[in-house]
Amino acid sequence: MTNEINDPVAMWQKMVGDMEKGFNSFANQAMSSPEFSQVVNRAGGVAAGAQKQLGELMEKYLVTMNLPSREQVTALAERLQSIESQIGEMKSMLSQMAASSGISQGFDGAPKPPRTKRPPSENGDQK
Amino acid sequence: MNAPTGLDFASIPERIQSEVQRAIQRSIKGVEYFSTSGPTLGSTPKDVLHSRGTMNLYHYRPMSDEIYRVPVLIVMATTNRGYILDLVPGQSFIEFLLKRGYDVYMLDWSAPRPEEKSLRMEDYVLDFIPDCVRRVQADSGEQDVSVIGYCFGGVLSLLYGAIHKDGPMKNLICFTTPIDFREMKLFSNLSDRRYFDVDRLVDSVGNVPPEMILSSFEMLRPASRTASQIQLWENIWNDEFVKSYRMFDRWATDTLPLAGEYFRTITKDLMWDNKLFNDTMSVGGRAAKLEDIKVPFLHAVAEHDHIVPYDAAKHLIAKIGSEDKEEVMLKGGHVSLVAGANAVKRLWPKLDSWLGTRST
Repeated sequence: MTNEINDPVAMWQKMVGDMEKGFNSFANQAMSSPEFSQVVNRAGGVAAGAQKQLGELMEKYLVTMNLPSREQVTALAERLQSIESQIGEMKSMLSQMAASSGISQGFDGAPKPPRTKRPPSENGDQK
Repeated sequence: MNAPTGLDFASIPERIQSEVQRAIQRSIKGVEYFSTSGPTLGSTPKDVLHSRGTMNLYHYRPMSDEIYRVPVLIVMATTNRGYILDLVPGQSFIEFLLKRGYDVYMLDWSAPRPEEKSLRMEDYVLDFIPDCVRRVQADSGEQDVSVIGYCFGGVLSLLYGAIHKDGPMKNLICFTTPIDFREMKLFSNLSDRRYFDVDRLVDSVGNVPPEMILSSFEMLRPASRTASQIQLWENIWNDEFVKSYRMFDRWATDTLPLAGEYFRTITKDLMWDNKLFNDTMSVGGRAAKLEDIKVPFLHAVAEHDHIVPYDAAKHLIAKIGSEDKEEVMLKGGHVSLVAGANAVKRLWPKLDSWLGTRST
């Protein structure tokens, strides 16, 4: 049996593991300070502001290029979503009609198994 | 012969030969790794019962000749995809449940669309979950439904259960579910109300981008990504290791954006005011007190959970109003609790024995 003291591969793996733990622990300590929160949030705020400005600029550009605006694409997406919902409702209605007509089957057409299972402990079965 | 230091000289040639073979295998498999895609995930046969924007309700096809009376609805966390519970055959929690005779449904999430930025906590707790429960009832023909919530899916399930105290939830199971958000130290510090302007963020970006969610998760263990890549290279000759690495890596980086208004409420009500823990939480003007949950309850927590540390989850069991309640702590981390080789041996059988007796 190899042991860590004389196995360079095991030593390397242990070293990587220890470094990971050490760095994570050090970083977690550093990140628990209010200063860290302040710096990260300041940077995040700048990035969010820049993203908003860029978005507005892109929208103006698309209008100039006679391309559909974001609002028009969103309106199309909403119409598609409404069609999807209606198809879903129709599938659901068909399923309910099938169930009420006494056909006990799933979407795939296979009959549904009976809901009679008892836990193994009650049946004395082995797990 | 052993040297005084304990060095086993006889084993050195064998060890060198093994390392040379692995080095050759690394080169071959390394090329394969970049030229192939990972295993197909989430492939257990299912039907989309309903889909509405970010919300998807799946029904998995039964794999047993006889099933329990009470169907199970799994509520996935809104930050991640549900296929973590359906990785590959043999390592799929869903497949396990189906083979053990459960009728399984899942409420899974797609990325909210830009126009869904106005989705609020009310939409999730008072619309999406009740809508799915009604559809599960209609599809199964049963009034009772057991609910399983994973991580923040557990928080949503708790809010749903606390508000809909008259049913139809029959059993509630939470996996690694936080309620004391002060104890999620890094998230709490990052969202410090003195420095974090959530209104400005949400008003600027609409939906919170997945990169931001992912980087906040990765900040919890900043060295782990590099270390795991080193581990991958060392073990790239090992097909099972690579398969497992690819499955978990793909899932972990497949983070979802969060709807802006929903994120605003999470930040203000949970991160800042800790309302769930303080019993002051309400959704859409309806009080959500954990003591109002009276159904049989199981909370599974992980010993080494770095995302939801035990301190953030430990008070849940005491606050739940049920008489039949149990907390179980298992070895593992936030993800390995529910998926992977350890979950197969630990959480899944525990859940089966607990839920089976309460599903008739």
